[in-house]
Amino acid sequence: MKTRLPIAVCFVFGLFTLFQYFTADPTLESIYKEILDWMQIIFVFTLLVGVVSLAKIHSEKLIKKRTDWPYSILTILGIVVMAFLGFAYGTDWGTPFLWIFMNIQVPMQSTMFALLAFYVASAAYRGFRFRNREASVLLITALIVMMGRIPLGHMISDIIPGTAEWIIDHPSVAAKRGILIGIGLGSITTALRVILGIERSYLGGKGA
Amino acid sequence: MDLSRLDRRIIFLLMGLAIAIPMLFNVTLPVNVEKDTLAVYDKIEMIEESEYVMVSFDFEASSFPEMRPLAVAILNHLFERNIKVIGLALFSEGTALGFTTISDIAEKHGKKYGIDYIYLGFRPQYISAILGMGESIARVFPEDYLKKQWQEYPLFSGLENYDNAGLVISVSDGSLPIHWAEYANARYGVEIGVACAAVMVTAFKPYFNSGQLIGPVAGVKGAAEYEKLLGRQGAAQRRLFTQSSAHILIIVLVLGANLAAYMRRKR
Repeated sequence: MKTRLPIAVCFVFGLFTLFQYFTADPTLESIYKEILDWMQIIFVFTLLVGVVSLAKIHSEKLIKKRTDWPYSILTILGIVVMAFLGFAYGTDWGTPFLWIFMNIQVPMQSTMFALLAFYVASAAYRGFRFRNREASVLLITALIVMMGRIPLGHMISDIIPGTAEWIIDHPSVAAKRGILIGIGLGSITTALRVILGIERSYLGGKGA
Repeated sequence: MDLSRLDRRIIFLLMGLAIAIPMLFNVTLPVNVEKDTLAVYDKIEMIEESEYVMVSFDFEASSFPEMRPLAVAILNHLFERNIKVIGLALFSEGTALGFTTISDIAEKHGKKYGIDYIYLGFRPQYISAILGMGESIARVFPEDYLKKQWQEYPLFSGLENYDNAGLVISVSDGSLPIHWAEYANARYGVEIGVACAAVMVTAFKPYFNSGQLIGPVAGVKGAAEYEKLLGRQGAAQRRLFTQSSAHILIIVLVLGANLAAYMRRKR
């Protein structure tokens, strides 16, 4: 029962969603709208699971004083403070919750993201070397694309941005299309396996 | 000093200077408008004043400095053309950032909330939200960001689903435009314009070539091109100088390192 019920639910809703796509029946359409609402409701519960899991992991780390445990204090404090402010004052414009988001979280996250520029520079410096034929192709391609994406490329010659665009539009897209077709076929196969109850790893545990 | 084996702290310092120094000067570099940017601009030019355009702020706080000039350029164009704008967010972090941006730009154009634009706010689970809006926007967003029944605004009461939207624009730092293409464009036929982070362009290219997505206006360069098309001097055109100097530094470092390594081998 523990595994049969979820498989049956998955089978019924999976098949329904698949066949509903090809019909315009108003009854099926209204059931489909209801399913879409339920998807959002279920997703909110997964967020709750995420928060509980995060709090549990960091509490354990804190209690057992594992490596970098002081950072867990900050994480737990962040969860508790933001949750309190959100429930007590709301999350609308002008509330303390949003003030903290705009004035602490946004600048901190932007700063972290900006650090990428430094690591990219260092990685490019070490990685792009004329070691062999393949590495040389990578190096030349990277230099052309980098040069083609700035106004200086245009100022030197229109050939540089033109070549950069050709690289992005043709070899890069060809590779990407191959990957996308692979992903598409893989997704169809996995979806069918889940609907038909062959793929059961999403149930977890030994019985899956 | 061996140029092929520079300490990474020196590279960090050089990069810091390459970014910081250009910021001190108000230099505007010449910008060539690419066909991708022009595609979004032309699409908005073709939209009638009576039509709605949905702008989805699909980004996180970390990329706000790159996303804001893109969103500002697109919103400037929409408000200049007196098009009715419906803002929303499919990433929770984009919600407040989207509201600030749309409110700021609307105010500069003298546009009023509920008359010229509305902001629906955030809905979780973007796939079901995208699909749900194809059936009924009011069902997915019964209230707007200000907790009001947005359908009570007379100029927005006729908005039912994507059939009433001339265009959806996803301002995104991630893969959300692909979901817009797969679920909103493929199923409901609405056209999707994209303003995205420069790093995402290659991921979306197949969708642009197949016509499932329009654009993209990509990164600081795309925003600068859009500003040029609008005839406005904005943040992106100034930032392009900073971006250029960072690119040039990387190119010089890579070439210098390879040349030094070659010389060393030759000796």
